[in-house]
Amino acid sequence: MEAASVTHGSHAGVHDEEHHGPPAAHRSSRVEPQLLGMLLFIISEVMVFGAFFTAYFFIRVVQGDEWPAAGTELPKLVAGVNTCILLSSSVTMHWALESAKSGNRFGLKAGIFTTFGLGLTFLFIQINEYVHIGFSPQDSAQGSVFYGLTGLHGAHVAVGLTLLAFTTIRSFRGHFSPEEHRGVEVPGIYWHFVDIMWIVVFLTVYIL
Amino acid sequence: MLNPLRSEAEAFRLLVYVVVVAAVVAGLVLLARAVF
Repeated sequence: MEAASVTHGSHAGVHDEEHHGPPAAHRSSRVEPQLLGMLLFIISEVMVFGAFFTAYFFIRVVQGDEWPAAGTELPKLVAGVNTCILLSSSVTMHWALESAKSGNRFGLKAGIFTTFGLGLTFLFIQINEYVHIGFSPQDSAQGSVFYGLTGLHGAHVAVGLTLLAFTTIRSFRGHFSPEEHRGVEVPGIYWHFVDIMWIVVFLTVYIL
Repeated sequence: MLNPLRSEAEAFRLLVYVVVVAAVVAGLVLLARAVF
């Protein structure tokens, strides 16, 4: 992959010097395709979460309704512990990649496996919270937004766990080295993004 | 400039910044609620 990037880099240089037309199909003259793809993905994600946050702020700010709905309560302590679990998983993810970069295979395997386990624990606690919370999405607008925001994030965690499952298997098979660890780096960026979104969701839904 | 899409290390650093800012915001709001 890195070799391909180098090849592409030299190609882009030739492209800039000799070619005087628009860039080739599916290419931008300014942004690397990988970065452009990730940027578009993040922008689309921000818009999806933004739609749900708009509904949330409409209820609380425009309507001035109480949060959560009357007669319901959000389990702040459980959510706080769950937040610590998810943040810990980002630390172990960072440890895993640093271990991969330094050739520490035990650190890589332990870090990525722990990250997967912590992510799974987060999702399990979240589902358990749904079971015991005492209201459903159709009960109120607040309920709809609560399940929408936390459920959307939970879906992202599930996708992240799928990526981590592949990364864990590949780590145990010895696919990564100090020179080639993109398969850990990209899921790592995604995992931190999921954590950042959770911090925003946790702050707005449970704390504020 | 911090670009969290460039590497995992920068994404992790952004996460740390977000946690710190969120903690400050939560602290200020809870303090304001307790005072007013």
